[in-house]
Amino acid sequence: MKIGNTKARKFFNLLLFSLVLLVFCSQASGQDEEDGGSIIFTKPVKAVIFEHSIHTEQGLECDSCHDGMFEMEAGVAEQNDDFTMASLYEGNYCGGCHDGDTAFASNTRCTACHIGVKGYERLTGGTKDSGGGH
Amino acid sequence: MKISDFEKLKNEGTEKLPSEERRRFLRFGLAVTGVFLGGSVLSLTSARNASGVQEKKSAAGKFPYKPHYTMVLRQNRCIDCERCMEACVRTNHVPSYGYRTTIMEQNRAAGDDRDPLFMPVLCNHCNRPPCVRVCPTTATYKDKETGIVMMDYKRCIGCKTCMAACPYNARYFNEETRAVDKCNFCFDTRLSKGKKLTACAEACPADVRIFGELTDENSEAYQLIHKPDRKVWVLRPETGAMPNVFYIND
Amino acid sequence: MSNMISIEDFSDPKAATPGVSKTTMLLMLLVAIGIGCGLYAFVIGHHHAYNNTREMPWGILIAGYAFFAIVSTGLCVLATVSHFMGGNPMSSLANRMVFLSIVTIIGGFSIIGVEIENPHRMLLYNMLSPNFTSNIWWMGTLYGMAVGFMFVEFFSILTARYKLAIGLGILGALAEIMANTNLGAVFATLSARPFWYGAQLPIYFLASAVLSGAAAIIMFTHFAYRIRGENMNSAVSEGIRSAGKVATLTLILIIVATSWRFISFFVGGTELGRVAAESFLSGPMAVNFWVFEITVGLIVPLALLLASKMKNPGLMTVAAIMILIGQFFQRYDLVVAGQMVPQYSGWDNLPTYFSYIPSFAEFMVTFGGFGIAGAGFLLGERFFGRVFMQSGHH
Ligand code: HEC
Ligand code: HEC
Ligand code: HEC
Repeated sequence: MKIGNTKARKFFNLLLFSLVLLVFCSQASGQDEEDGGSIIFTKPVKAVIFEHSIHTEQGLECDSCHDGMFEMEAGVAEQNDDFTMASLYEGNYCGGCHDGDTAFASNTRCTACHIGVKGYERLTGGTKDSGGGH
Repeated sequence: MKISDFEKLKNEGTEKLPSEERRRFLRFGLAVTGVFLGGSVLSLTSARNASGVQEKKSAAGKFPYKPHYTMVLRQNRCIDCERCMEACVRTNHVPSYGYRTTIMEQNRAAGDDRDPLFMPVLCNHCNRPPCVRVCPTTATYKDKETGIVMMDYKRCIGCKTCMAACPYNARYFNEETRAVDKCNFCFDTRLSKGKKLTACAEACPADVRIFGELTDENSEAYQLIHKPDRKVWVLRPETGAMPNVFYIND
Repeated sequence: MSNMISIEDFSDPKAATPGVSKTTMLLMLLVAIGIGCGLYAFVIGHHHAYNNTREMPWGILIAGYAFFAIVSTGLCVLATVSHFMGGNPMSSLANRMVFLSIVTIIGGFSIIGVEIENPHRMLLYNMLSPNFTSNIWWMGTLYGMAVGFMFVEFFSILTARYKLAIGLGILGALAEIMANTNLGAVFATLSARPFWYGAQLPIYFLASAVLSGAAAIIMFTHFAYRIRGENMNSAVSEGIRSAGKVATLTLILIIVATSWRFISFFVGGTELGRVAAESFLSGPMAVNFWVFEITVGLIVPLALLLASKMKNPGLMTVAAIMILIGQFFQRYDLVVAGQMVPQYSGWDNLPTYFSYIPSFAEFMVTFGGFGIAGAGFLLGERFFGRVFMQSGHH
């Protein structure tokens, strides 16, 4: 491409601009990674979704969860035997806030957190199609 | 019909319900308290409650079978963990191409995938089972004692009329037995061996599937659907099949 | 049998031209392929050979079976009516109709034989553990009985025992009518399928039977004379005229019935039925419905029949063939549309309509059924031609 031509230069600038925008955007979405992104728990049941974005948008600090309640590492809570509803109802884990005061209670809106096997397959690109069959 | 809509609807009263329909449900021992959207969802409450003190006696005696098995599904507690399906497959050797029970999913509104609804479905073990009526060789039949809709595989000619007749898509053709297969409340694999629950009910960690007897006032299933003012509904009541699987919320 | 009968007494060498023989062979080949595909499906499992699913357990084979069963009923009933009422102009066609009724039901039976997964179990348990509330049971049993009656009836015709033939014909026709309404009831009594459910179907099936029977006899009689290069005598022409009138009348009845049937879905009833009906008007069945069922199957043949003034067997045969094509599509569309709307519509992102396209094997089995009807007709003309060409046996 010849850059001497003004039209071409305009086009080139546009291209450059787009590129910069693209890099910027991908960094912005990379922020997801920074705050832990979306985490899907599969134990004990498949599957519960936790989205950092929803929670940080609520103005929650990292510390409100990562100060004893949860590790900054996916899969840790799942190793615990008490990562259950009973424990949530007692105010542990998500139940610390999802108690009806800070956020909706853990014994309501089950499917806000529970996306099920279907939701899990969808997010992880599984190929389970139900309903149809033989 | 979405359950969220259902909850928003106000009771239209029983007067809009054809008397035939009402009587049919009364025979379950349940009185109809409302009908929603042209009768596709019915709300029922206990006959005892509806008709006041004179009928203080239990409605239990009215059921045609003893034990009269039922499954009550607390629909909004279902989280689609599918442990029921896994347990069913393991217990009843269900092949991968078929299922006896499954979970259906629905979004509350178009394009809104938050808080989806999950609905377990299985054979409704109808009191007037369309599948049983149409089977030419009585390969599928209603057990005289328990009312469970069962299969005698060796008699199945594979005409699939029962599959066409079932309002609930509860049947599939099993290639290994060359016969239609379906849920039988785990009669052969569990109930007849003294176990009290079906595999799916036992496996459910969220207490969605409450298996029990309509003939037993102390059974949890009985109590759940006879609780005053509780909305109880069945799927496709308009077919007149009189299902024994009931849906409630909570 | 004291008086020995010999096939020579009935066979008609004029219907044994090389062209006819070649066509017969081709049709037999079709039969062989069809049976081959059916047996293949039986051995490896229908699931691998046919495109039916849990949600749509029935397809073109049920439609094909219903088509032939309905044609058979029509032929049998018209034959009996004309035998019974001796003076009836159609009596000149009656012997051929009896034979073709047998042939078409055998075509139907062959299809259903490989449509059900376990025909071997059927033979046993239909008798050992019958279910008298099952329309399928009655349909199978009654069609079976009808074939039995008609076989003996045909034999009586061959041996000139006409009184016996008439009696058996009446029994056969009664069995056929009852079988036919049970076939209608197989669909009409399934409340789970609103598109089928209702009192109209059985009578609609019966009207279709009379229409298909009349069309079939017009077509086959015309071909019978064509292959011999002869013209119909006046008695046969009269018979064809009567068949044409019967077809015209039933066409009108079916047009009326179809109109109300569809209107009824849109003025009330359930969503499931309405969505199924919509598939005909503007959905996936629209081409089948508007082009084949309505235009080819009803409107054009009606116009042709009226235009022919019942005097032009060629034109009437064109109308008859169109009627039969339309009838086949009617059976197919009815069977498919009844199952096409998901029962759990609204859940699991189920499509508005399930799709079903018959597999190769299914098509071949269906064509095999047509092969049986065609080859049966030609063989009949060849070996029993003289019985057919005699105008009535009174
Ligand atoms: C509402 C509670 C909550 C808040 C607020 C929160 N997190 Fe987390 N975070 C979690 C949970 C729960 C996990 C998963 C822990 C587990 O699986 O045991 C997690 C995991 C992580 C992980 C590990 C992700 C991985 O894939 O291994 C990182 C990194 C993280 N958080 C960073 C952050 C940062 C940075 C912030 C503040 C911007 C933040 N979190 C705010 C709840 C929270
Ligand atoms: C520090 C408090 C806190 C903790 C811990 C917490 N949440 Fe939340 N969560 C909130 C708040 C606040 C909201 C938004 C308010 C609301 O919706 O009630 C929210 C909203 C949500 C939503 C969004 C629901 C919607 O409206 O779509 C989900 C899902 C959710 N939380 C899941 C979880 C899960 C799973 C966990 C545990 C792994 C968890 N949360 C732990 C505070 C918390
Ligand atoms: C605030 C989010 C949240 C809500 C709301 C919630 N759960 Fe859970 N649930 C969890 C988490 C987190 C786990 C543990 C992780 C896993 O099993 O994947 C869990 C686990 C479970 C389990 C398996 C462990 C056990 O306790 O047996 C069941 C069953 C369950 N939930 C049922 C329910 C039901 C029923 C509801 C509604 C009444 C509900 N949950 C509502 C977050 C939630």
